[in-house]
Amino acid sequence: MIWYNELNDGIVISTRVRLARNIDKTPFPATLGKDDKKKVTQTICDSILKSNSTLSKDFKLYKLNEMTESEKTAMTEEHLISPQMINNPDGAVLVNNDKTMSIMLMEEDHIRLQIIKGGYCLEEAYDLADKVDDVMEESLSYAFNEKFGYLTACPTNAGTGMRASVMMHLPALVMTGNISRVVQSFSGMGIAVRGLYGEGTDAEGALYQISNSITMGLSERETIEKLKSVTDKICDMEKQARDMLLKNHSDDLKDKLMRSYGILKYAVKITSKEAKTMLSDVMLGQNMGIIKCDGKMTPLELMIKTAPSVISGNGGLSPNERDKKRAELIKENL
Amino acid sequence: MDIFSELLGMFDEFDNVFSVNTSQKESKTCPVCGYRWSDFNRSGKFGCPECYKTFETGAQRVLRQIHSSSNHTGKIPSKSGAEVKAKRRLEELRRKLKEAVASEDYETAAKLHSEIKQIEEGGIK
Repeated sequence: MIWYNELNDGIVISTRVRLARNIDKTPFPATLGKDDKKKVTQTICDSILKSNSTLSKDFKLYKLNEMTESEKTAMTEEHLISPQMINNPDGAVLVNNDKTMSIMLMEEDHIRLQIIKGGYCLEEAYDLADKVDDVMEESLSYAFNEKFGYLTACPTNAGTGMRASVMMHLPALVMTGNISRVVQSFSGMGIAVRGLYGEGTDAEGALYQISNSITMGLSERETIEKLKSVTDKICDMEKQARDMLLKNHSDDLKDKLMRSYGILKYAVKITSKEAKTMLSDVMLGQNMGIIKCDGKMTPLELMIKTAPSVISGNGGLSPNERDKKRAELIKENL
Repeated sequence: MDIFSELLGMFDEFDNVFSVNTSQKESKTCPVCGYRWSDFNRSGKFGCPECYKTFETGAQRVLRQIHSSSNHTGKIPSKSGAEVKAKRRLEELRRKLKEAVASEDYETAAKLHSEIKQIEEGGIK
């Protein structure tokens, strides 16, 4: 099931593990000729689609130059391709049926294998990535060096080539003014805390991405352990902040959340920033049992489906029209 | 500023600090992709896997700055890393053998010794 519709505990929304791999003795995509890119793409696709594994029937290939703008935008918002892939005519992506696995080809590296799941499941996601990686390696020769590990175009990824991350919803830490302390306190530990939409305290929707920033000197398991311990700590801090708000500022909190719900239910036009902030309030209200939503979409799904790029579809909408369309979509589905 | 721009800024600084080394040691051209060290400095990226060998000194320095380490300790691919895997296993067995001898556990030491011999005779020294 796609990550944003899966059950989660309300704080850790989703888990992602990405492995960067390249083919031995072959220039990275930025320096590889067009024809060679096609050949390498074919070889990599075959490693999955023609493998003896059950994976071969689970994946489908999408070539970026054969996709419409709205299909590409949707895939970006679903985090199946990176925003950089949209304008990459030589790029392709293999996506599995339930959209939990995607393999981007000819992005910055030849292969970017990604597992994305709803909820908090770092080990499970890594195990799956590891398994798919092994299947691909059966027919591919990876660029690997004893000292430096898996070799990647950017040295920030060399070594394990792994970037593991969790997306967290931290509205109470934002409301109580503690978020900047959290962001700063973990940054020196090889862990990066970044806003999903915008940096630091201004992160719209109070959504934060916590990920490892180093890929060398620690094994994959050690990196995941470290990320887990930081995630657990942040989770506890968010829970404490929620408890404190409910205990000391119960009326103010309920009033704020219900007002956001009211605006989302009745507004005629709404900007992307306002929508994200208020949908975040409704998410918090739902998780704390203050608001009961019975609409067709969750606040999180609405946050994704009302991003400016998604609302625009194939373009042609003025900002005013977009704000109206966004308000309508939210009203109908919340 | 995103992490990548920060790092790119860092590379510029290294280049200033190590400019003498850079011009002397990294004037090579990568035989596979034709990249020079100046190409890496400009883009913050290597042209191909071989660049890590061509510019080994520079790569090691940059990796240490980014990760505080330039030694990979994680997964080893089973095919292209078969030799590395055997080598690491041998290192581990030798370390265990030393420990067994130190603790006078001669039975374990004998077992480890014959296992090491077996691997060595298999061709990996």
